[in-house]
Order: sequence, then structure tokens, then C-alpha cells
Amino acid sequence: MNTLMLAVEQSTPINYLPVVLQLLVAIGFVIFMVGVTHLLGPKRKTADKLINFESGIPQVGNARQPMAIKYFLVAILFVLFDVEVIFFYPYAINFKELGTEGFMAVLMFVAFFLCGFIYIIKKGALEWEE
Amino acid sequence: MKAIIAATIIGVIMMFASILSNNKSGIVSLATVLFFFLFGINIWEVYESINATGVAAPAYLNNMMSLDSFAIWFSMLMSGCALLYILLLGKEIAKVGKHVGEYFALIAFIMVGIYLLAGYSNMLMLFIGIEILSIPQYILAGSDKRNLKSTEASLKYFLMGSFSTGILLMGIAMLYGATGSFDIINFRMLQTDALNPLALSGILFLIIGLGFKVSAAPMHMWTPDVYDGSPTPFTAFMSTIVKAGVFVAFLRLFHASFGNLTNHWMMIVAVITATTLFIGNITAVFQQSVKRMLAYSSIAQAGFMLFAILSVNATAWQGIVIYAVAYSVATIGMFAVLIKLKDYTYDGFNGLAKKEPALAFFTTIFLMSLAGIPLTGGFMAKYFVLLAAVQQGQVMWLVIFALIMAAVSVYYYFKVIIAMYFKTGEAELNHEVTGYDKLMLGITCLLVILIGLMPQLLLNL
Amino acid sequence: MMLTLLLLIPLIAGILSFFLKGEGVKILALLSTLATLVLSGFVSYEILVAGLSGTNNTLDFSMPWIPQLGTEFSLHADGMSAMLCLLTGIVMPVIIIANWNKEVERPWSFYGLMLLSQAGITGVFLAYDALLFYAFWELALIPVYFLCSQWGGEKRIAVTFKFFVYTFVGSLMMLAALIYLSTLNPGANSYSWANITHAGASLAPETQSWVFWMIFIAFAIKLPIFPFHTWQPDTYEQSPTPVTIILSALMVKMGMFAVLRWLFPMVPQGVAFWSNTVIILSIIGIVYASFLAIVQTDLKRLIAYSSIAHMGLMCAAAFSNTQMGMHGLMVQMFNHGINITGMWLIVSMVENRYGTRDMTKLGGMATAAPQMAIALAIISFANIALPLTNGFIGEFMLFNGIFQSASAYNIVFMAVAGLGIILGAVYTLNMVQKTAFGNTTPMLISKDMTTNESLAMALIVVLVIFLGVYPKPLLELTQSVAQMMVP
Repeated sequence: MNTLMLAVEQSTPINYLPVVLQLLVAIGFVIFMVGVTHLLGPKRKTADKLINFESGIPQVGNARQPMAIKYFLVAILFVLFDVEVIFFYPYAINFKELGTEGFMAVLMFVAFFLCGFIYIIKKGALEWEE
Repeated sequence: MKAIIAATIIGVIMMFASILSNNKSGIVSLATVLFFFLFGINIWEVYESINATGVAAPAYLNNMMSLDSFAIWFSMLMSGCALLYILLLGKEIAKVGKHVGEYFALIAFIMVGIYLLAGYSNMLMLFIGIEILSIPQYILAGSDKRNLKSTEASLKYFLMGSFSTGILLMGIAMLYGATGSFDIINFRMLQTDALNPLALSGILFLIIGLGFKVSAAPMHMWTPDVYDGSPTPFTAFMSTIVKAGVFVAFLRLFHASFGNLTNHWMMIVAVITATTLFIGNITAVFQQSVKRMLAYSSIAQAGFMLFAILSVNATAWQGIVIYAVAYSVATIGMFAVLIKLKDYTYDGFNGLAKKEPALAFFTTIFLMSLAGIPLTGGFMAKYFVLLAAVQQGQVMWLVIFALIMAAVSVYYYFKVIIAMYFKTGEAELNHEVTGYDKLMLGITCLLVILIGLMPQLLLNL
Repeated sequence: MMLTLLLLIPLIAGILSFFLKGEGVKILALLSTLATLVLSGFVSYEILVAGLSGTNNTLDFSMPWIPQLGTEFSLHADGMSAMLCLLTGIVMPVIIIANWNKEVERPWSFYGLMLLSQAGITGVFLAYDALLFYAFWELALIPVYFLCSQWGGEKRIAVTFKFFVYTFVGSLMMLAALIYLSTLNPGANSYSWANITHAGASLAPETQSWVFWMIFIAFAIKLPIFPFHTWQPDTYEQSPTPVTIILSALMVKMGMFAVLRWLFPMVPQGVAFWSNTVIILSIIGIVYASFLAIVQTDLKRLIAYSSIAHMGLMCAAAFSNTQMGMHGLMVQMFNHGINITGMWLIVSMVENRYGTRDMTKLGGMATAAPQMAIALAIISFANIALPLTNGFIGEFMLFNGIFQSASAYNIVFMAVAGLGIILGAVYTLNMVQKTAFGNTTPMLISKDMTTNESLAMALIVVLVIFLGVYPKPLLELTQSVAQMMVP
């Protein structure tokens, strides 16, 4: 078996030293940078600076409001179907090699796909007005 | 394999059933019939595997699944529990919201995850199983859309669950780095004396990831809120059958792959077990709501099931089977009673014995089983896992600690009994307890006692 | 087969009672308890005769239960078990007869639970498999818990719960020890008495010394021995009198019986190592409980403390490891059961007539209800072990046993325990004087014993005197067991 993969040296705490060092460096760097910007940066706090930045347009009301979920639903469904379509690419390349069996498998895949599609349509997930 | 396919198809059928019909009780009946069918298929598989003794366990999906007799047997038992669950709580599931068909579909998909976890032999299958099992749960937790607590539960569960899945994946990746394989058989080659730090941290990550899914302390923080917030029928499912399924995955991995590395992870799991028992039991004592108490009790019971992970021997496998079934049956029964009550606090149970003596009696049996009183299933379950730990021989202190915690658990379980029998009050019910309810609860109760009298019925090994 | 029947009769009758309404329950309970009385009498007689003729004097029954766990459903009756089954057989009908005219709420569940507890207790006396024993040990407790909590006094819920948790913790410790012992000897019946005692006895002495405590705590709580006794007076006070009788006459004997049947053979070296400690605890218990009994004004609490003192004496004798002590102990278990039943019956009559158990408010029973007063006097004499009552022979042998023990402090033990007898006389006679004589307190219901009460009481009084004059059958029944325990 792959002896390279099985580590040979003893597992002693010293083996973890690089990890610890890395951790220390990472944490230290963060603390250092945050601290330095805090100390060196100019501090001018005005009411204008403390409000959210909305691309220069004055902000109106609260963003935390219920909104139609349709958009998200369509977006998620798009991602879902888009990703599934990607499976066709490897199949297209291996079309000949996979033969009839491969064709049947893909047919089944499409059938499942279709089931999902019918389900979505029937559930009315794609209807905007309701 | 047949059961996996059947459960998937059942899920799809249930999805389409909700489109074709708006008749809720019709959908519930269809689901009941289909789960009967699923259970039948499981029994068929068990029958086949018994006849095929001597033949190596069939491997599926490029050796990624190995459905040995244990996996098939456990799947069968879990299907049985799921059937019992649907029979007891089917009507209540239909009351949660309007997407009744989808609820049953999601439950069927969760069953697929459980079957995968029972028989995986490849880390990819473990991961897929865990995901198939988790994602429907996130949805079920939030299925009561208008209820803020349910939504909170769903979001909390989803965020924490994804995070833990990430950790699990990290662990799998590290093990792959150490061994160059996803096959759990190949992990056996990790040698005890020359353990790769990568493998060691991989094991640690897996403990954390799986510990999260089984709600072992200190990875339990999500449990009370999620179990309390989710609609009660789904809490019953999540805290019992699902948890048992993940435990079997946990057990399979740690016994089959890391069984010879116990000195590296035994202590960690032992400490987790002790913490789980302590936090689960002690916090449960202070709860006011019975539903929340059951959430903490499910943490406490997970502590006992962790004993099976700790003890690398054959008894542990028997123990986890008996524990899974005994705990699931009693808890499902308990939730089936709880859901009938208007008030989920202890006071809501006051005087139930006068109003509904049969219901109170069944509840008493379920609670006694959870507390581990002899001649109920819960006793035999605790007995088996503790026996496994004693046979293991290294954790006698933990066994004694667990027994003290079992005594603590009597306190909060018996508080319900005290409320039902010894306190006066008018326990308000949501609706009449029908003859069918009593019959089903009676059968559940008989099962609990039967497991307590003859636990060997659950063992085919 | 007879042993199984002894278990099944109360079990089935108990379950049936829950489905009956009205008077039928009482009749069913009476019939089934009488049936067990006859059956247990028959079993005892057979064992007695077989013992006298020198043949095999035990009855056994076994069938497979859970082979995977190495446990089987095996029952075993020797002289000691038979005697205790007989005690159960006598006490149960006496309780039912004495309470025949008393109205209970929900009689079906009251009598059903009584019978179920009888089944559990009988099971403990007969079980010959450690796991089976453990199961019965717990099962005997649960009906009693429900009985006390539903029909008890004002503070019943908290008090009974304390009692339940105490005993449950104890038995869980025992369970851990039993699991441990069974794993030492894996096999088809690793829990059988023979295997588990063998496994325990072959342990190293240091191991035995901690296994001893894990098992003994369960029994010590039931007995109860001095630091573990705090549940007992409260529970006796709060539970309804029929249940108090079951607790003090029968369940306490479960603890003593378990010490003899399981603890001694299981960890002999642990017992040897700790015997002085246990005797000292017992003797502290005797003196402590006796002094507390003197200052009690509530009749039930007084008897509860006197029971602790008596059990302390028995426990001290058990750990003295002498044949005489062991033999006396067995006889005394029976006699104490009879006496304390009589005592509680009188207390319940007094409470019924006067509406109080407070001794300072009682008096003049001798003139108002002479029969009750006579019964009280006789039972009290038995309680302080006057010669010609049944208490005498047992206590005499117990003291003899403690005196003969190999311990270096036997004289001290004997002397301090003897103090218990004197104190016993003080509080018992004080009680008789305060209730039977003195100022006449008006009764709520001025009636002497009713027919059913006299019947129950007569049975007890006859046994007290008969066994005081002619204890031979009892001695012969238990002789072979005592000889086996201490050769």
C-alpha cells in the first residue's frame, strides 16, 4: 500500500509546532493590523459618517422588510437546473464510449429531471402573480 | 439497496400526491400504506440476507456501500419505528401546515439517509447520507411557517448544521490526506504507534462533526431550541429515529476504522460522554416545559448511546440496536401523548390520570422506559450499553457516573408522573382521545414492555 | 411450578383488579392472598418435611429468559425463602381483612397495586438469578411508590419521592456491581446464583471490598442502616397504614434477605473486611433510633424508629458471622414481620377511633376499648422480647450470636446493643401506658374491635404466642440454611 501516505515519524507534540506557529502568526497578524489601524487611523466621527453607505443616495426607511420570495425561488431553481445541466458536458464528450447503457442512464437522469420540473410547474413556483 | 430505491420512489410519489390531491386524510392514508410497503421491502431484504449466509455482504455503487446483515437489520428496525411513528402521529403531521405530502416526502428522504448511514463503506457515502438526512430536517423544523419559534429553529439548525457538516468534511479530507483513500476499510492501516498528525486531527474533526449531529455536549447548544421550536410531530422524528441513524454511522466508522486506535480517541469520547450526561440530565431538571425537558432528555440519552461508541466490542453493536429501538419507541409514544395536551408545561399534565386513565398509564410506561426501570425497553437498552462499557474495562468510573445521572433522570421523568397521578387539576386536551389513538399507544406500550422482557428479539447478530 | 404459581397468582390478580369495579376487587384480593397463603404454607411444609427427612430440601424452577445476557428465569426456594414467602402470605390477607370495612378511593387501583407489590416482593424472595433478582427488586418498589403517593398523608409526594430516589440510587449501584461480576464469568448463565457468587468470591480482596459497598448500599438503604435511614420515618408516617405494613414487615426483610442470599456468598472477603464497620453502624443505629423513639409523640414515628433499632440488631447479628446469630436472624425476620404488622394494625385502629396518633392526646384505651388494649399489650411485650412471646427466642439468639462472634470487640458490641433492649422497653412501655391508661380521651367512634379487625388481630396474637412457646417449626425450617451460611 501507499507507504508514502502513512506517516512514519512518531506523533509527538513537536510535530504540531508548525501548526501552532501558523496559528500564532495568523492571530498575531490580525491583532497587529487591527490594532495598528485603530491607533494610526484618523478618527472623525460625524453623524453622516456613521450611517450606512448607500451609494451616495440618502437612505430611506429600514431594509428589514418582508419581500416577495419569488425572486429567490427562481434564482435557486436556476442554480439547481444549471448545475444539473453541467452533467451533460462530460456525457457529451464520452457519448460514444458509454454506448447504449450510458444513454439509458442519461435518459433516466433526464426523466428525474423532468419529474422535478413538472413538480415545480405544478406547485406554481414559477408563477409571479398570485 | 431495494429499500433505498423504494424510499426514494416513495418520497417522489408523496411529492406528486400533494399536487394531485388536496385531501389531507387521503394523503396520510397513502403515506401509511407506502410506509407499510417500505417496511415490507425491508423485511424482504432481511429475509434475503438470512438466506444468503456465508456469502460475502453484497457491495453496491463501486464498493461504496456494503449492506451487511447488520445494516439491513438496522434499516428494517428503523423502518419499523418510522412506520410506528406515522401510525401514531400521521394525523398530527397533517395538521402542521398545508404541504402535507411534502412532509411525508421529506420523511421518506430522511429514511434514505438513514439507510445510507447504516451501510456505508466509503466516506463519500457517509457525507451524502448525513446531508440527505440533515437537509430535510432543516425544512421540517421550519415547516410551521407562521410560528416565529419554528422559523428560528429552522434557521438555527441550518446554520449550525452546515457549520458542523463543514467540520465533518474537513475531517474526511484530512483522513484522505493521511491515507489516500475514502474507503473506511483502508483507515485500518493507520498504525497506532506512528499516527500521522493529519489523521489524528481528522479523527478529532470527525468526532466533533458527528458529535454535533447526535447532539453530544459541548456540541449540543442547538438541540433545545431546535427541538423546542420545531413542530412537535417533527421533533419526535428528529430526536429519535434520525439520531439513532447517525449513531450507527458514528459507531460503524469508529469501530470498523479506528477500532485499533482507541488510545487516541477513547479519552476524548469519554469526556464528551461525561459532559453530555451531565449537561443533559442536570439541565433537564430545571425545565418547566415537558417538550423542552424531552429535548434535554434526548441529549442525556445520547450520552448513554455514546457508551456504545466508547466500547469497541460486539456488545456495543447489540447495545446500539436495542438502545435505538427502545429509545425511539418510548420517545415517539411520549410525544404522541404530549401532542394531545394543550399545555406543554408540567402543570398541563395535572390530573391527567383522572381524566384519561389509559393515556396516563401509557405515559407512565414510556417514562419508566426512558428512566430505565427494569422490564421496560429502556432498562435493557441502558443495560446493554453499560455492559459493553464494563466489558471494555477502561471506563468503570464513567459507568458509575452514568448510573448516578440515570438516578437524576428519574427526577424529571417522574415529575410528569407525579403531575398526572398525584396532583389535582384539569389537564386540557386538544381533542378527544379516540379509540384508534388508544389502540396505537397500547401497541407502542406493549412494544416497550416486550423489548424489556425479550431484548433478544432485536438481535440477529 | 408451585413457585411460579406463587408469583403468578398475585401478579394476575393484581392486573385483573384494575379492570374490576366496586366490591369485587376486595373479594378478588382476599381470595388471591388466601391462595398464596395456602400455597406458601404448603411450600414451607414440604421444605420442612424434606429437611427433617434429610433429602433435598429446596424447590427449583428455571426456564430460559435472555440467553444472550446469561440470565434465566430461575426460582429457588430453601427454608429461608419459604419462610419469608409464608410471612408475605400471612401479612397480605391480614392487611386485607383488617381493612375490610374501610372505604378507599379507587379500590381497584389500590388493591391492584397492593397485589402487584406482593408479586414483586415474592419475586425477590424466590429469584435465583441476579438480573431477575434486580428486576424484582425494582418492581416491588414501583407499586409501593404509587400507593404511598396516592393514598398517603399530606406531605406524601415529596416524602415518597425521596424514598424512591434513595432506593433507586442504591439499586443502580448494585446493578453496576452485578454487571461487573457477570462479565467476569461470561457464558450462558453468568447471572445464575452459582456463577455470580463464584465470580465474586474469586475476586481479589481489595476488589471485593469496594464491590461490597456498591452492593451493600442498595440493601443498607432498604434495611435501613444508620446513615441511610433518613427516608424511613417520614415514609412510614406519610404512607397509608396498609402500605406501611408492606414496607416495614416485608420490604425491609427484602434488604435483610438480600444480604444473606446475595451479599454474603458474593463477596465473602469484603464482608469479612467490613463486618466490624457495619456492626458499628448498626449499633449506632440501635442506640440513636432508640433515643429518638423515646422522644417521639407520634405513634407511627415511634414505631418507625423502633423498627430501625430492631433492624440494626438483626444486621449486627448478620455480620457477626456465627451460626447462632444467623439462625436467630432468620427466625427474627419472621417474628419481626408478625409483630410490626400487629403494631401497625393497632395504630391504624387507634387513629380510626381517636382521629389522632399523637400520644399526648391519647389515653384510657384500657377502659374504653379493652380488647384493643390487650392486643396492644401483647404485641408490645413481643416487641420488647419478653419470654414466651415470639420476639424472645429470636433476640436471644441474636445476642448470643453477637457475643460468640470472632470480633475483638464482641463484648462491647453486645453491651451497647443490649442497651437497645432496655431503651426498647422504655419507649414501648411508655407508649402502652400513654395510650392504654391515664386520662380517658373521648373516642370519635366509640367502638372496640370489629369482627374483621379481631379476626386479623387474633391471627397475629395467636402467632405471637404460639411461636413464643413453640418456635421449633420455624427453627427447623431455617436450620439447614443457617448451617450452610456459616458451616
